[in-house]
Amino acid sequence: MSMNMNTEIAQSSQPGLEPPMEEVTSTAPSKKPPGPWKTVWKKFSRNPYAMTGLVVLSIFVLAAIFAPWLAPYKPEAINLDGDMGGGGHLLGVDELGRDIFSRLLYSARISLLVGFTVAAASVIIGSFVGAISGYFGGWIDTIFMRFVDVMNSIPLLFLNILVLAIFGSKVSYMIMILVFTSWMSVARLVRGNFLQLRETQYVEAAKAIGVSSWGIIFRHLLRNASFPIIVNATLMVGGAILSESALSFLGLGVQAPDTSWGQMLSNAQEFMLTDPIQAVYPGLCILIVVLSVNFIGDGIRDALDPRQKATVSRRRLKQWRKDYSK
Amino acid sequence: MAERLLEIENLTTGFMTEKGFVKATDNISINIEKGKTLCLVGESGSGKSVTSLSIMRLIDYAGGAILDGKIKFQGEDLASKDQEDMRKIRGNKIAMIFQDPMSALNPVFTVGDQIAESIILHQNKSEAEAKKEAINLLRMVGIPAPEIRVKQYPHELSGGMCQRVVIAVALACNPELLIADEPTTALDVTVQAQILDLLQRLKEELGMSILLITHDMGVAAEMADRIAVMYAGAIVEEGTVEEIFSNPSHPYTVGLLQSIPGFEGTRGKELYTIKGTIPGLGNLPGGCRFNPRCPHVMDKCKSQEPLNFKVGDDHSAVCWLYEDKAPVEIGRNGGDTK
Amino acid sequence: MTEYFIRRVLQSLLVLVLISIVTFGLIHAAPGGPTQIFLAPGLSQEAAKIQAHNLGLDRPVYEQYFSWVGGLLKGDLGYTFKNHVPVGQILWPTVQNTVILMSVAWLLSLLIAIPWGIYNSTKEYGLSDQTASFVAYIGFAMPTFWFGILLQELFALELDWLPLSDMWTMGQEGNLGNLFMHMILPVSVLTLGFLASYSKYSRASMLEVLEQDYIRTARAKGVKENKVIFRHALRNALIPVITVLGLDLPILVSGAALTESVFNWPGMGRLFIEMANAREYSVLMAIALITAVVVIVGNLIADILYAVVDPRVQLGKGGKSA
Repeated sequence: MSMNMNTEIAQSSQPGLEPPMEEVTSTAPSKKPPGPWKTVWKKFSRNPYAMTGLVVLSIFVLAAIFAPWLAPYKPEAINLDGDMGGGGHLLGVDELGRDIFSRLLYSARISLLVGFTVAAASVIIGSFVGAISGYFGGWIDTIFMRFVDVMNSIPLLFLNILVLAIFGSKVSYMIMILVFTSWMSVARLVRGNFLQLRETQYVEAAKAIGVSSWGIIFRHLLRNASFPIIVNATLMVGGAILSESALSFLGLGVQAPDTSWGQMLSNAQEFMLTDPIQAVYPGLCILIVVLSVNFIGDGIRDALDPRQKATVSRRRLKQWRKDYSK
Repeated sequence: MAERLLEIENLTTGFMTEKGFVKATDNISINIEKGKTLCLVGESGSGKSVTSLSIMRLIDYAGGAILDGKIKFQGEDLASKDQEDMRKIRGNKIAMIFQDPMSALNPVFTVGDQIAESIILHQNKSEAEAKKEAINLLRMVGIPAPEIRVKQYPHELSGGMCQRVVIAVALACNPELLIADEPTTALDVTVQAQILDLLQRLKEELGMSILLITHDMGVAAEMADRIAVMYAGAIVEEGTVEEIFSNPSHPYTVGLLQSIPGFEGTRGKELYTIKGTIPGLGNLPGGCRFNPRCPHVMDKCKSQEPLNFKVGDDHSAVCWLYEDKAPVEIGRNGGDTK
Repeated sequence: MTEYFIRRVLQSLLVLVLISIVTFGLIHAAPGGPTQIFLAPGLSQEAAKIQAHNLGLDRPVYEQYFSWVGGLLKGDLGYTFKNHVPVGQILWPTVQNTVILMSVAWLLSLLIAIPWGIYNSTKEYGLSDQTASFVAYIGFAMPTFWFGILLQELFALELDWLPLSDMWTMGQEGNLGNLFMHMILPVSVLTLGFLASYSKYSRASMLEVLEQDYIRTARAKGVKENKVIFRHALRNALIPVITVLGLDLPILVSGAALTESVFNWPGMGRLFIEMANAREYSVLMAIALITAVVVIVGNLIADILYAVVDPRVQLGKGGKSA
């Protein structure tokens, strides 16, 4: 399902009344305030879900990088020696006698590669389109944004399937088509930021004295939009991993002898009757990785959101009253 | 002496934050007489709005709570009422108008619907009667062609018009007390004066009391019978409007008055500003809460919280400068002080 | 109003033409083009050429496009290459099957998700809210097809309570009870996905509305809390939800493809995958057009609903901003 949906609405915050507990001290600040990265990291690191996500994702990334050293067998090696599920096979072997654990490790490489590449490329393309659209405005903006509208109104899964079915199923093609169908949200975000920045006084001033406003805008853009873009990109990694698995499951993505979690699932479905456990591991891997990535993304977003709203429960209120009367 | 409509005694309220519970008002006491206007004056963040929300018990919906104290309205304590009983009072005997009229009206209902709702709710009238009443109310608050306006949506009206509608909504059930929280802050200057005039006229016509919350001493001077000055969650000075303006006593009040352009004594001089900013209630300074910003700060101010001293007939200030005067209980000097 | 409709329909037509050109172009840009399917073993180069000529595939692409459009305007969707079956004959039953599956799943998830999200917004961080949040996280992170496989393994193979796949049991076609049993698993899979996003969305939207000043005004008037929620807040909260529902239509159309493949449901999504692999471009074009029409009509309905719910939106004047 669409991943970026949860980022859109939760961002606006409207304080219901003038904040009475604003942390403003009357004394002049003695130290330099900590930078935005540090503040965000501080809040992020206090979020148990986000930190768990970060640790788990790191483990998967390391496992993917060191797969050749960690895997007890070659992923495509057929081992007819051990009986199914026994012997030296941690998670057993599949119908061809290939070691499932080794295959999971190698699959992580492709799934994560696709996830991160697609997210990174989408951010670059999206930022570029958004920047041009927001900077020039006018008819260029209109054309680009209409294009984004059209892209958003076609069923992208169909487009992915069509392209891969026609041009052939290759990982590189898959990455390209996934990038082509997922840069739009970043473009919207960056465009919005650009439109805001363009109107600011210092950009006008810079233009007036002949300084390239491109430079200024980019510097400020990076400062302004970097966090929302990071949140968006994080969630996009998860979305890309899911899309990769879906396409590979349909037989349109990763092809043998390469292996990915989605492709393993496609295999497993055929042998559902005889060996149902085979279908569990790859899916679990996808679930855990995407969950971790989403936790990280939400953690960053929460760390950025100044709104901290808690409703008062009766129990809590009783406690306060007790504390107060003491 | 006039009958007291509302007496707030030692009200303490607060909010839950990340760092635990933070007080928003600290032990405040004020009262309002029947047919009179009390202005609660202070900077934003001083706890004025929280006080008004507490009277309405709307603070319960804003993530806060009343911790201690009484809010006596016509002899009943609102602080200990449950929400269902409060609901029958809200909009009926106590009504409220808010700062931003454009956002205070629901965009998906017509003006007439929103006025009629109160009438149907509290007065058991039929929808047709309520609609007729709504037109009368619109006429009363000075909206031309009320028969047409009543069918319009808020976005079709100007800010000043919207505030008139908000007032009409508030007056729908002839309240005894009208709480106006910065009713003119979001409006143009010319419209501001019109709205204030309207409130003054309606107060006299309907004989209601008003609790006017404002940061603007000018507005207070025009509207108030009494003034209570709030700073960082506490009342620091209280008295009749004449006393406060002729003999401002607390250094904070003095600062507020001196920062009004064109106020007596400031003409020709550089405009005064109170140095520093209002402290968060989570980290109040020790002693007097105003001491870091006070031009007359003494050693005592940094260690001991000041008492409330009687500085005039009907006038008191919470400040060590008046230590030689008789201490009074905060908020108890109004009218019939013993 | 009329002016708005004319403009919207014209815009939509433009999008339709664009989509058909893109699809057509993609198919012909493929190495070998549509003729490639005739280069199957057992057919000589010569024979393939003759075939292609008979079908008009050796004409310039634009000519083929216009003849296809011409056919379309006469209600003729064309024929498949392989067996020369009319496209409509293959397509319409699958459209119907997809509509059955999707509409049930979608309505079900809306019926659950919106009230649930609204309830959760009033009891923030309560048990129900936490559950919804958990469901949302899982729903967003789990591959739908994997969930389908797990359900099959558990309820069809292990417990044998429900049929494994397909739409009917052989020989039971037309038996509604049988259809119902077949629908339970795929509908569950689809519902979880929708539920995750819609409950989260309606909760967020409602929370935002509940913080607005006019809600405080309503409470200050003494309006009962349930009326505050259902009369004053709900209508405002539904406005962004309607937009999302409109934007979600592409997912609604194509989202069934995976579920249909897992459960072997004879729907349009599965047909698309099959036909994409077989390069039956007349079928693909038809499906692309149907989806485009559905999406466009859906957005139109969303716009109208929008104007009904929100008096600030006037369809005649520029419409809503995207």
